Amino acid sequence: MNTRPIFPLRRDLSVQLIILFAAFMTAVLIAAMVFLQRASQDLEADIGSSDLALAHAIAEETTTFLDSALETVTQLAEYPEVITVDTSGMDAIFQSVMSARPDINLTYRLDAQGLMVFHHPIGPESTVGTDFSFRSYFQQAKTTREPLISLGRISPTTQQPVATAVMPMWIDDVFQGLVATNLKLQFLSDTLTNIMTTAAADRSANTAIVDAGGQIVAHSDPSFILQTVSDRYPPSLVDEMRGESGNFIASDPTGEYLYSYVPIANIDWSVVVSRPTSVAFSVLNLFRQGVLAVLIVFAISGILFWAVLSRRVIQPIERLANFSQGSWLERDESSEMVTALGQLTARRDQMGVLTRSLQSMQAAIEARLNELSTLLKTSTVVVSSLETQVVLDRILEQVEELLQVRMSAIFVLDESSNTFRIRASRNLPGWYADRVRIDPQDPDSATMRTIRSGEPVHISDTETDPTYAHNRQRSRLAGYRAILAIRLPVQHVRPSALLVYRSDPDTFTEREIRLLTNFANYATMAIENAALFDRSDTHLQEQTQRLEALIQSMRDGVVLENSAGKILYANRSVQDLTGLDYETIHNKPITALVEAILSRTKDRDSIQRQIDEALSGQGIRRVEYAQIGEEKPRYLRLSLFSVSDKEETLIGRGWIIQDITQRYELDRMKSNLVATVSHELRTPLASIKGYTTTLLADDVEWDTQSQREFLTTILQETDRLSSLVQDLLDMSRIEAGNLKINPISSDVPKLIEQAALHATPPPGNRLALNLPHDLPPMFLDPQRVEAVLRNLIENAAKYCPDDAPITVSATYDNENLVISVEDQGPGIPTEMTSQVFESFYRVDNGMTRKTTGAGLGLAIARGFVQAHGGEIWLEPRPKGTCVTFSIPVAVTAEVSE
Amino acid sequence: MTTAQMVVLVVDDERPLRDFVRRNLDIRGYQVRMAGNGLEALAEFRQSNIDLVVLDLMMPHMDGLETIRRIRQTSDVPIIVLSAMDEEDDKIRALQLGADDYLTKPFGVGELLARIDAVMRRAQWRPWTSTTTSRLIHDRLTVDLERHQVLLNNDPLELTPIEFELLVYLMENAGKVLTHRAILQHVWGEEYGQESEYLRVYIGRLRQKIEDDPAHPRYLVTERGVGYLFNA
Repeated sequence: MNTRPIFPLRRDLSVQLIILFAAFMTAVLIAAMVFLQRASQDLEADIGSSDLALAHAIAEETTTFLDSALETVTQLAEYPEVITVDTSGMDAIFQSVMSARPDINLTYRLDAQGLMVFHHPIGPESTVGTDFSFRSYFQQAKTTREPLISLGRISPTTQQPVATAVMPMWIDDVFQGLVATNLKLQFLSDTLTNIMTTAAADRSANTAIVDAGGQIVAHSDPSFILQTVSDRYPPSLVDEMRGESGNFIASDPTGEYLYSYVPIANIDWSVVVSRPTSVAFSVLNLFRQGVLAVLIVFAISGILFWAVLSRRVIQPIERLANFSQGSWLERDESSEMVTALGQLTARRDQMGVLTRSLQSMQAAIEARLNELSTLLKTSTVVVSSLETQVVLDRILEQVEELLQVRMSAIFVLDESSNTFRIRASRNLPGWYADRVRIDPQDPDSATMRTIRSGEPVHISDTETDPTYAHNRQRSRLAGYRAILAIRLPVQHVRPSALLVYRSDPDTFTEREIRLLTNFANYATMAIENAALFDRSDTHLQEQTQRLEALIQSMRDGVVLENSAGKILYANRSVQDLTGLDYETIHNKPITALVEAILSRTKDRDSIQRQIDEALSGQGIRRVEYAQIGEEKPRYLRLSLFSVSDKEETLIGRGWIIQDITQRYELDRMKSNLVATVSHELRTPLASIKGYTTTLLADDVEWDTQSQREFLTTILQETDRLSSLVQDLLDMSRIEAGNLKINPISSDVPKLIEQAALHATPPPGNRLALNLPHDLPPMFLDPQRVEAVLRNLIENAAKYCPDDAPITVSATYDNENLVISVEDQGPGIPTEMTSQVFESFYRVDNGMTRKTTGAGLGLAIARGFVQAHGGEIWLEPRPKGTCVTFSIPVAVTAEVSE
Repeated sequence: MTTAQMVVLVVDDERPLRDFVRRNLDIRGYQVRMAGNGLEALAEFRQSNIDLVVLDLMMPHMDGLETIRRIRQTSDVPIIVLSAMDEEDDKIRALQLGADDYLTKPFGVGELLARIDAVMRRAQWRPWTSTTTSRLIHDRLTVDLERHQVLLNNDPLELTPIEFELLVYLMENAGKVLTHRAILQHVWGEEYGQESEYLRVYIGRLRQKIEDDPAHPRYLVTERGVGYLFNA
């Protein structure tokens, strides 16, 4: 967490600072460059001007010198000795001139042909008589009357470099030759040297005077004299010198020089001052270096300043930003961060103060968070129960942990005694908890004071607190010295207060008081929740118990499954219907129930598929199946329905398991009835239709006897059909309850005889009668009773072996006639004895048709007997069947016909 | 085989009905044996060389279904059921056990005689002679029409004449949906047309024999409410 947080560049302080600094530096640099440029130009101009001034000075000096020389020769030309070539006269004149002029080393006179006629001094070598007409100044002199200065040259006479001041001499326009003085060029050079010595501050400057022929006629370095200027100076100088005075800079192999030149008036000479630029511009260079140095120092100090600012201010601010960005809440700062912050904290400047105050803020927040978290934790514990006593005990437990106090208690108003009593306590002596009563009017009680004021009441030492004087004995015995009492701000339960005790005189800190006050709010919530829950719970429990009783008493099995497919509830009947008890399947996946169902079915795969379909379906889904494993198969119906809450959100699924065996049996009987009736009706019809079509068949001619037989059978089958229809009608009358009997005086043995006679199949000689001799005629409906007897005899004949006897017995006891029909057949299974008298019930299964008939016989018999006010039943027999009926009858005198 | 030689076993617990069948068959040249229940029928069946059984279902001692099952353990003799029970389930049960036809009571003599003729005709089918081809081959299934043999993955299958007829008719019309009526009239005879339960039984049997997963047939596909299709 100590990585530098990323800011967008324009919001990063250090980037902003560095940009600001760069902008400032750029501005300073530009200003410095402009200033340097301007100053350099000015300085260069100044230096050029000073050199030009020097050159001007030299030019003027030279002009003066030359003017003086020209004046001298002009004067000489006026001497008659000179004009007339008076050698001795000239010698004196020339001598005086030379003595006055040390710069002249030779004065001479040439005649009109250019021949040397005289020179002074005469030695060491005389050139008298030598022709100098080739000299350019001689040629020039012949064309002018003005004095002139020759080009520099080596004098053949003096063997010294000289320039000659020449004065042509004319008499009446006749050229008379000339008088000239050789000026020592060395003298000019010395003059230059002197000027340089005095005028130029530095000695690096060279000064040269160049004559019109481009020769150096004077130079501060004598070795330059009579050298061609282009040999010694850059060629560009020669070009430049043709103009006005000026400066320029040129380079040669020895370096770069500043040249200043000034033309000398009238004689086409020039003065050149040259200096190495390194010397000339040394001040300028120094100035430049100075400015550069200042800039560098400025830049370095700027960078240093930035670095210091970054290290001392920005980085700490970043660290603080990091620190304050929440990472400290997670308490996992790296040691690097801790060290860095430690260093910051140690600083004594504003940063240190800021860091320290941030840290102390953090500590305060952490402390507050800890408090809150402890409060939250403790209050979570407290509200985790809804039982009042548990809640109170937990409150005290948590108080102990929160404040590190051993003893605590909750006082609650006891309405019966109208005193405050301890409802829960922790580590207080038992007698204390039992006996302490606080009068609500007690002005000094800490409990009452907090309850009245709502403010915490703090007794730091019971031994010294005056309000506690009369309870001091109590505190000594219980072993506490300090008390903090806080009202629990309850609204829905009786007034209560929370008290904590310390065994030493001790001041509860503000923080502890605040903590306990906050905790008291949570505790109050828990107490009120528990109380409210208590009230609602009682009501709810009653409702739940009623519902539970209702559901448990249902004969149908009820299973509730939650949305996760776990069994939430199952009633008692589920155990009866599936063999699974609630304890076993509670919270188990619903598949446990499905498996239990499947394990007791014959057609497992099919039922599984149907259940799967039902599970994936909507609305109420049903699966019916036969459960095996018991004596008789049991038919169960599984109904599934979705369970939704008020918002129609699916919250689970309900399963109802119904035992539909009875309904199933009824359905089976009904369908058996239809099948049976249909069969019984179709059988005679089949014969009737068969014989009728036989008689109608075209391909065969039947003889009369056959035709008669066929018609007889048709008749018999028609009778059978009508008898069956009669039975069905009787049965429907019996079931509708509107069967009427017509009792008349009847002979019972005769009825038995007729019944045996009409029975199909007939009992034949298997029939044995066991009748009293003195059976009188009786009032009964002979047709109905005969029908009953016929039915019983037919049944016996149908169901028992062909050779087994069928016994009909009768008894009479003045009120009731009792008749039994008994056979030695297979008998009726015990479990079916109650059903044999139901209509259409026949002890049959499958298609094995043991008997003919619609199964109405016994039902009709019972209907007829009951219509007489009698009863019919099965007599228990170890073997065979014995059906007995009794009819209340009156004895008559004679038998009606 | 002529009718003069044919021995018919009539089994019914109702004497009048039994007599009616006997009299009609007698006069038309059949030899008739009689039985009043399943046990008697089996005894008679073992003793005599029976060509056709006409059998009631609901009888004492041994019912008709059990009787069919017992007969089918040893014989392919044509069996016609006469029953007062007209539920489809009853018919299917009888057909599944091996009955060849099912006649619901009451019925006329003409209908009975026609059914007897049809059943006997089917029982006496001769080896197939086809004008076009002597073999039908589809995927793993080969039908040799001349030898009346069906091979699945080159293994011969045991098919009853009806099953064979049915399979050949469907295969010859592979890819076409054939209606119940068309199939019944073609395979069972012109007298038939309503007996769709016959088809359910026989298609079920064929599926058991030729399909890998009879519950999800690949060849013999049901077109619900219409008929069947041999999936080409």
